[in-house]
Amino acid sequence: MRLVIDERRCKGCNLCTIVCPYKIFRQGAKPNARGIVVPELDRPERCANCRLQALYGRTLCGMCQMICPDQAISWKDEEIGEPTKVAIEF
Amino acid sequence: MTYTDWLREDRLPHIYCAGCGNGTIINCTLNAVDHMGWKKEDTVFVSGIGCSSRAPGYISTDSLHTTHGRALAFATGIKMANPGLHVVIFTGDGDLAAIGGNHFIHACRRNIDLTVICMNNQIYGMTGGQGSPTTPVGALSTTTPYGSREPTFDLCQLASAAGANFVSRWTSYHVKELTRAIHTGLQIPGFSFIEAAVQCPTNYGRRNKFRQVMDQVEYFKTHAILQQKAERLKAEGKSVPENSIVIGDFIRRDRPAMGVKR
Ligand SMILES: Cc1ncc(C[n+]2csc(CCOP(=O)(O)OP(=O)(O)O)c2C)c(N)n1
Ligand code: SF4
Ligand code: SF4
Ligand code: SF4
Ligand SMILES: [Mg+2]
Repeated sequence: MRLVIDERRCKGCNLCTIVCPYKIFRQGAKPNARGIVVPELDRPERCANCRLQALYGRTLCGMCQMICPDQAISWKDEEIGEPTKVAIEF
Repeated sequence: MTYTDWLREDRLPHIYCAGCGNGTIINCTLNAVDHMGWKKEDTVFVSGIGCSSRAPGYISTDSLHTTHGRALAFATGIKMANPGLHVVIFTGDGDLAAIGGNHFIHACRRNIDLTVICMNNQIYGMTGGQGSPTTPVGALSTTTPYGSREPTFDLCQLASAAGANFVSRWTSYHVKELTRAIHTGLQIPGFSFIEAAVQCPTNYGRRNKFRQVMDQVEYFKTHAILQQKAERLKAEGKSVPENSIVIGDFIRRDRPAMGVKR
């Protein structure tokens, strides 16, 4: 699974940056076309949900999605043939 | 189904300011409702007036966006006319405890089978930041420019004293616990009251030294204290730190309730 921020919904509040145990969300630097500074993702393949959602058949962790007041965070299935990165956490 | 299936996606993004905690409470509520396995056609959301009360407009079930302070009166009507419906109310501190205070205590007293989620931002958000019955002593608002001097209501104590079957308080930082509390409230027959402390960066935070949205949420994180811990401190003769937000499930009981489907 791939972690995505919907740029049409995000209002740049940065609440997602304070809840992720892996610190995947980082405050962004540049405003997008709507003038919103959307957070940047730091190696999102480390997200528990990206790695294990398919295996467990349910949302794991999900703190960022729950706290996001603008319903902007979700996970998408990879397209067929899309290159994927695998992160292994010890 | 997941909670996103309950959203009216065509209405998003919603009207709330950047970082407004109300959106988080909608997520938690819809997650809890989704766990109940209810059908959309059997579920009704009701609200009064205020930023918090706009929430049902973003949810795809039938809903009533009523008059200021009167959400509980309308909800009582729905429940008494058709106890088969699941009725969930979104309200604000002003809507519930100021103009709607009387409806609140009597709905608790009657112990009607409703679940009330109060987004307490300690301010009248929608109308530009007037003080509410929960504005803390010393806080600045447009009606308390030198700092509020009025004692406040503790909404959970009010609900407990008035007779609600389930009473719980969490914050917009404690999303998992809040979701679980709402889920418990939805299951319990009788009146369930869940207070969620939320940030209003625009009309409360900005005037009260929370420069960034995150600052007030960090404050919730650092100042929240579990009820059990607060009790323990008191039992040991120590004092609970000032400005603590006591969180937890305060009441769970089985008083006779009205509007419960038999
Ligand atoms: C009868 C009536 N009186 C006053 C108002 C103006 N009014 C609209 S919203 C509001 C306060 C809302 O505060 P709260 O319930 O805390 O909601 P918030 O916007 O903070 O979420 C007031 C006084 C109104 N709409 N109707
Ligand atoms: S689901 Fe959890 S681990 Fe994954 S990005 Fe969100 S907060 Fe981080
Ligand atoms: S919490 Fe949501 S709205 Fe806020 S910055 Fe993160 S993705 Fe954007
Ligand atoms: S005024 Fe306050 S409560 Fe209303 S939408 Fe803005 S931040 Fe939220
Ligand atoms: Mg309010």
